[in-house]
Amino acid sequence: MAPAYNIAMVCDFFFPQPGGIESHIYQLSTKLIDRGHKVIIITHAYEGRTGVRYLTNGLKVYHVPFMVIYRSATFPAVLSFFPIFRNIVLRERIDIVHGHASLSSLCHEAILHARTMGLRTVYTDHSLFGFADAASILANKLLKFSLSDVDHVICVSHTCKENTVLRASLDPLMVSVIPNAVVAENFKPLSGPATSSISAGAGGQSFGHHHGPPPARQLGPHDTITIVVISRLFYNKGTDLLTAAIPRILENHPNTRFIIAGSGPKSIDLEQMIEQNVLQDRVEMLGPIRHEEVRDVMVRGHIYLHPSLTEAFGTVIVEAASCGLYVVCTQVGGIPEVLPSHMTVFAKPEEDDLVAATGKAIAALRANKVRTELFHEQVKNMYSWTNVALRTERVYNGISGAISEAEFYSYDAASAVAAASWTANRGRSGVQSFALIDRLKRYYGCGIWAGKLFCLVVIVDYLLFLFLELWYPRDKIDICPDWPRKKVKQQQQQQRKES
Amino acid sequence: MLTTSPHLYIRRPSPTTAEFTVTTCPPLTLPLRLALFGILLLRIATVGLVLLAIYTQYVAATFTTATSPTTLPDLSLSLSLSPSDLASTLQALLSALLASPLGIWIAKASSHLPPYAFCGLSYLLLYISLVTRIHTTESVLVLRGLGIQTSSSSSSGAIQKTRFIPTAQIQDVFINEAFRGFEVRYYLVVVVEGEEDVVVVFPRLLPKRRIVEAVWRGIRGCLYEQRSEANGGYHFQGGNVWKDGGGGKWQQQRQRKVDGGEKGLG
Repeated sequence: MAPAYNIAMVCDFFFPQPGGIESHIYQLSTKLIDRGHKVIIITHAYEGRTGVRYLTNGLKVYHVPFMVIYRSATFPAVLSFFPIFRNIVLRERIDIVHGHASLSSLCHEAILHARTMGLRTVYTDHSLFGFADAASILANKLLKFSLSDVDHVICVSHTCKENTVLRASLDPLMVSVIPNAVVAENFKPLSGPATSSISAGAGGQSFGHHHGPPPARQLGPHDTITIVVISRLFYNKGTDLLTAAIPRILENHPNTRFIIAGSGPKSIDLEQMIEQNVLQDRVEMLGPIRHEEVRDVMVRGHIYLHPSLTEAFGTVIVEAASCGLYVVCTQVGGIPEVLPSHMTVFAKPEEDDLVAATGKAIAALRANKVRTELFHEQVKNMYSWTNVALRTERVYNGISGAISEAEFYSYDAASAVAAASWTANRGRSGVQSFALIDRLKRYYGCGIWAGKLFCLVVIVDYLLFLFLELWYPRDKIDICPDWPRKKVKQQQQQQRKES
Repeated sequence: MLTTSPHLYIRRPSPTTAEFTVTTCPPLTLPLRLALFGILLLRIATVGLVLLAIYTQYVAATFTTATSPTTLPDLSLSLSLSPSDLASTLQALLSALLASPLGIWIAKASSHLPPYAFCGLSYLLLYISLVTRIHTTESVLVLRGLGIQTSSSSSSGAIQKTRFIPTAQIQDVFINEAFRGFEVRYYLVVVVEGEEDVVVVFPRLLPKRRIVEAVWRGIRGCLYEQRSEANGGYHFQGGNVWKDGGGGKWQQQRQRKVDGGEKGLG
């Protein structure tokens, strides 16, 4: 039987802030708890959300305050987080630290400190990055630093894996791909059973009440086709492309209209475009919406248009397909891996091709060639958080040595000898050594100057750790009582029955 | 040696009253008493010396050196302790002290210091010897039907602060966790009706979880015993124990275990 772990998810991004990473962490944690593990989440304090909180299922969230030393002057972040982090890790008896998102500094710090404390670390990358501009170079260097000594990396798509491996110079074998999932029950098409459960929760939101055209199974040649766009209106989400494409699409196809939800710096451009072309009656701008309202907006349309320029996974297109929308999307990043070809029309990320692809999708819908009503069941079978949790658990087993290296990395014993070269500085099977000298070796390889700098940081961190062991001894730290764990046996039996 | 980590004393003068005291003071043995007495003497001596130093500075600032020889012969007179010339006697004593080797040494030492350093040093010494306390003691007194009285020394340690909360105003008593400095600590909280802030019991010591839990059980048991009998069972703390809903189940389970053990013993 697989051991039960105490896992700490560390990320700067968590509720109450909305977003994909936030819900990913929450869903994964909930499902891991269902599998009998103990999960806590460490994030920073948000306004009105500080201290230690419990969410459903006994998911404990630490909203770490920034240490304000004097007025608004804070301690250097890397150092001030360590005492609190150590305290939390010890009181919760954490075995595995799982960091999320490459832009979260808290996550990288936690991985560094966790390695210093001798814990297993996993890192999940949710986004793609470029290599060319200055900001990306800096971000990539930092990523390389924190990933030099991580035990395992999880990426949400194969494209994301490729990107991360290149950015952080990782061994591809230590990177797993575990896609995101959706809660299919929350994204049911209108015609499906029990549809009104969510719209009741929207609570008097104006758009929840004007009922758009329901997705009729048989579209007549003159029925209006509604195209939905839900995205934050930023450059990388392809809002410029959208601004250019909308007038042309509406010109080519008379009986179409757009619903655009989301906010961002590019919303002004969209509004200007609407006014210039006098499209107020055919383009509806909803502004920012909450995540639980997404489904209500989606079911008002027939086509989901996703013009993003870069995307690691694109949970939103899975949600759209689950709602029974035909998806038109740009062929960038991890998007082509996400949905089967019969649910999507791909376009190159350029104006002409996007207009052509949308035209193709409209034509296909008008010809009733696409069976959108089947999408929901298909998506439900493809993506589930339980599956994500299972696969994540396998990663935990692999890095903690519960399953052998050969099994984890799936190569046979013969090639294990050949692979010994790349596992030169690994201790036990598939497990990175915690010895400071081994860690320094790994960091030193990061670059001519960076390598030395990183080593310095690691040494300072180690000294700080020794100081903390003296100053706040381990036996003085209260141990937290665990939330009663779920029984795993029953669930395993259930899964056996299912399989 | 002089202090220990906070530990708990429970006093139950009657079944409906309980006092929980958390203190850093170890049990008073003879060596400890002697040491404490020594420290007290040291404090008195320090205060005396500082006052003397201030006086020498005062004398040096207001009078010229001509004053000192005139006061010297008064020493013999000071033996007649008539209340009428107490002031003059005191002055005589002071001047005698000033003239003594100790007084001269202090005057020298204090005149060497720049004025701000002298002020700072004397303030610091006076503060340490008059205000600070070696031991911190905080307590909570529970009287069934009346309420809870918490007492704690203020941050300087000199003044004892007490707070009485009548039973009618107590909404809940629970244990919570919070960030404090570089740590996450458990603390016992009384929610008072009509107040925005909760009252933290043992706010300075913030004892460990074991102590906090024992006190919490004691307070619940002492305040609400009637209710537990009505419920017909041992888990008198019932439902929402931990405000956040976190440890409630765990507490119940643990309570059952403890009770089970006791039954086994009995």
